[in-house]
Amino acid sequence: MLEIKPIFNALLRSKVGAVLLLIQIAITTAIVSNAAFIIKDRLDYLNQPTGYEEENIFKFNVMTFGTDVDLIQQVDLDEQMLRAMPGVVDAVQISAVPLSGGGSSTGFRLKPVPEKSKSVNASYFETDEHGLNTLGVNLIAGRNFTEDEVVLNRDYSKFPKVALATKALMDELYPGEDGLGKVIYMGDQPLTIVGIIGMMKGPWLKLENRKDKSVLLPTVSPGKLHQFLVRTEPERRAEVMKQIESAMHSNYAKRVIQDLTGLDVKKADYVAEDRLMMRMLVILISVLVLVTALGIFGLTLFNINKRTKQIGTRRALGARKSAIISYFVVENSLICIAGLVLGVCGAVLLGQQLMAHYSVPALSNWYVAITAVAVFVMSLLAVIGPARRAANIDPSIATRTI
Amino acid sequence: MFSHYIDLSWRSFKRTPLVSLLMVIAIGVGIGITMTSLSVYHMMSMDPIPEKSDKLFAVQLQSMDEGESWWSPDSMPYQLTYRDTENLLNADLPFKRAALMKTGFSVHLNSDKVKPFLEQTRVASRDAFDMFNLSFINGGVWSKEQESSAAPVAVISQSISKKLFGTSNSVGETFYLDDLSVRVVGVIEDWKLHIKYFDLNNGSFNKPEHIFIPFSLIKANEIDTWGNTNGWKHEPVKVFNDKLQSEKFWLQFWVELNNASEKRVFEAYLENYIAEEKKAGRFTREKAEYKLRDVNQWISYWEVVNEDNKIMVALSFMFLAVCLANILGLLLAKFLRRAPEVGVRRALGASKKQVFFQHIVEVGMLGLFGGVIGIIVAQVGLFGIRQSLSYYDALANMDISMLMTAPLIAISACIIAGLYPAWLVCNTTPATYLKTQ
Amino acid sequence: MLKMNNISKMYQTEMVQTHALRDFNLNVEEGEFIAVTGPSGSGKTTFLNIAGMLEPFTGGEYLLDGIDVGKLNDNQRADLRNQKIGFIFQGFNLIPDLNLYENVEVPLRYRGIKAAERKRRIEQCLEQVGLASRAKHLPQQLSGGQQQRVAIARALAGEPRFLLADEPTGNLDSLMARQVMELLEQINRDGATIIMVTHDAELARRAPRNIQVVDGQLADFTLYQGNPNMAVGA
Repeated sequence: MLEIKPIFNALLRSKVGAVLLLIQIAITTAIVSNAAFIIKDRLDYLNQPTGYEEENIFKFNVMTFGTDVDLIQQVDLDEQMLRAMPGVVDAVQISAVPLSGGGSSTGFRLKPVPEKSKSVNASYFETDEHGLNTLGVNLIAGRNFTEDEVVLNRDYSKFPKVALATKALMDELYPGEDGLGKVIYMGDQPLTIVGIIGMMKGPWLKLENRKDKSVLLPTVSPGKLHQFLVRTEPERRAEVMKQIESAMHSNYAKRVIQDLTGLDVKKADYVAEDRLMMRMLVILISVLVLVTALGIFGLTLFNINKRTKQIGTRRALGARKSAIISYFVVENSLICIAGLVLGVCGAVLLGQQLMAHYSVPALSNWYVAITAVAVFVMSLLAVIGPARRAANIDPSIATRTI
Repeated sequence: MFSHYIDLSWRSFKRTPLVSLLMVIAIGVGIGITMTSLSVYHMMSMDPIPEKSDKLFAVQLQSMDEGESWWSPDSMPYQLTYRDTENLLNADLPFKRAALMKTGFSVHLNSDKVKPFLEQTRVASRDAFDMFNLSFINGGVWSKEQESSAAPVAVISQSISKKLFGTSNSVGETFYLDDLSVRVVGVIEDWKLHIKYFDLNNGSFNKPEHIFIPFSLIKANEIDTWGNTNGWKHEPVKVFNDKLQSEKFWLQFWVELNNASEKRVFEAYLENYIAEEKKAGRFTREKAEYKLRDVNQWISYWEVVNEDNKIMVALSFMFLAVCLANILGLLLAKFLRRAPEVGVRRALGASKKQVFFQHIVEVGMLGLFGGVIGIIVAQVGLFGIRQSLSYYDALANMDISMLMTAPLIAISACIIAGLYPAWLVCNTTPATYLKTQ
Repeated sequence: MLKMNNISKMYQTEMVQTHALRDFNLNVEEGEFIAVTGPSGSGKTTFLNIAGMLEPFTGGEYLLDGIDVGKLNDNQRADLRNQKIGFIFQGFNLIPDLNLYENVEVPLRYRGIKAAERKRRIEQCLEQVGLASRAKHLPQQLSGGQQQRVAIARALAGEPRFLLADEPTGNLDSLMARQVMELLEQINRDGATIIMVTHDAELARRAPRNIQVVDGQLADFTLYQGNPNMAVGA
């Protein structure tokens, strides 16, 4: 008996097992808390309010190849036709589609170029007086621009005098002041802000400092390729969309209608990668927690098999079943707590690394704390079954020789 | 002996089926998740033109005034001005050069035969076909004369040719780009690329274009870009010529340089060019700056492999580590329970080495099973990704190298996890267990 | 003290019923030292398991200190075991992860005895078996005889009324076996009631009272007091 090598004593064996369990719990905690945080971050991003009735708005492109038509006139005719369609609330030709990832932006200034001035980057949409209503965004101060103020342009030789701007833009250009009636400059051209828009997201949701800053310019300057935006009554979008191509072609045939898409779909396409990342992370942490739970389950079962005799002896010496259960639960909890301590440090470190190398915001401690509690509960659930099995080991096993 | 070990391993697998299955699933899931993110990463970062990726260089010129900055990592503009593009293209140099721009037209036959459709079109100088390894099925590239005289000609892909004319030999046919009638001079095989490395401005994973027209048509037909136009100073653009003369960036430019000395010649040319332009009042920065990046440098400069994917790869490997710790624990338990049996084997004359090898074969087998399950899991994962993102079609796939990598990673990971338990068990002192039994 | 009336134990398998014990009657008085002998498979171990409440029985009545064991639930049996009975096993059954001190401590912890009192008793018991100096050793570092002495110390620590010993010397050589036996006799003189299962006739002869189990029944009942020459089952 004295020849038993120390590497074979049960103490060392269970120590290695415990260390492995501890590592699993630590890494699991680190991954899950960071992944959960990223998931929450993406969810907030995906579900942020945009200011639009996305499910009632759609867009389409018109590519005109015929040369026997005046585009500005044609746009006017098309708009009238669209607005007259049953189910349509309003329709407009617009230079960019919000939430789509495509559009124009420029620096808006307090003073004209070339004077030195504060400049704030914002998206701009060229459209007519129906733009505001078609977008369905909320004007919180001032008025919409009028038909007379809309500049019809073929070559950008004329420039509008007024514009609508979002509150976020005006607040940054004129902090602490009422933006209504103020003048901002686009290059060297002055624009008087006649109306302030509340919530209105621009084309790029990803660009944190630009997404809330937009300007509506009363300009119609359609190119060969231009876009329309249509808002319908609730539930009637699909019906209207079906008629668009033939309706547009019956107005004028030498053109291609393309990218007839709902605003919600445009947004979904734009955020597809983020949604994918979120889903992958959800799968990752679910499977990870499952694997770790299975690991705890498996190791506890093995420990119990290894200690069958010992458990029988303890029972023979007067241990109640509950004492056996608590023995394993306590043993597991000790390992788990040690793992959690390590895991919490790991989570914070991983969070710092992710923040340093990638555009991930700082990890909130709440996520680490909640994850730690959840992992602890998970480990208890994983150990309770095997522990009950251990408690049912017959004490008479102690008197058997093998 | 090896087959005997495999037999023993299989028996051992069957003796504890639940635990063995648990281990195989743990490896399978770990490998599966890792391979899913790794496959996408692999496709994203794969060299799109390995045979000459180190010979093709994207050209960047720092033509902005002092103090102006760009959002690229080194503040260099990604694209070139029309003026610089034209100058570099027409310079008397012995190197192949490609000036590129993305645009698009309504494509039609001016008849009812084919319904007009919108098609993105690549404006390119004639060297581009040779430089980017595009292979002609019929005809060839337009001539130098056609290029310099802005002839309305086009090279189209096989699939567009079939769509318009029902044949892949459509050389000599004419079709319309908006109101411009163009004649087909060549038909190429469809350009299959998973990274649109030659123009990364509008989505790295978009499909390459199917219609190509001469670069000189930009000026002659006032063709504007469908890509990005970016400016850094206030320049009113009232007519198209204003844009051609402006400092706005909207064109891509590549040069093929076959060796270091060619590269030096071209660099010397660029330095000289910048100095000349300086005299004309451009390139006002004190320090003249230009950059030549080869294909792979260009792809990493653009950060084509997106951040999310890198995070996923990192997290997946950590996940794999958890799976391995899991397996290591189970292996330890499984092997040590077998210590008495090993004691008997040792007493019967098995050497330490043989016992060790037997156990390594066993974990290797677990790894192989896990690898196979991993491939299945990864296929499911990649299928899910393809469903979520249409443009990941070409990316969310396992190529042969990834298929081979899966079991390789699985087996080596398992063997690493199995080393310690196998070492422990092969150190069994034969007497110990014979006695207590 | 310990009273078994018509105790029976039946093992039921799909095909056969096996009687391990049949109409087993036994009365043990306080302070007795009883050796239980019998051939293998006769039911000795079953008797010991039932006496120690490690196994339920199928029929009859078992009174321990006047308590009807058949009416107790699992927890009550565990507590009774803990308070009244000390076990000594053939295989020692020391817990390998614990050192000697901790091993002796196990039953005391289950009884909820305070740390200071535990310490006193453990030290006293280890002293009694002559292993006080090795309290910090692990079981693997001891010889078989020493391990069994630790097991005896563990059984004694709870100051049980009954000591149940299952082949306590079965794994020991004769010198060590004699030492263990002397220790048990000393404990019996100190007042504990001991029931010892053995197949070693020489050992059995040293016990004042011998019972023999054959085919699950108490087959013989001999008092050897002062008459060691009348050996049975040699």
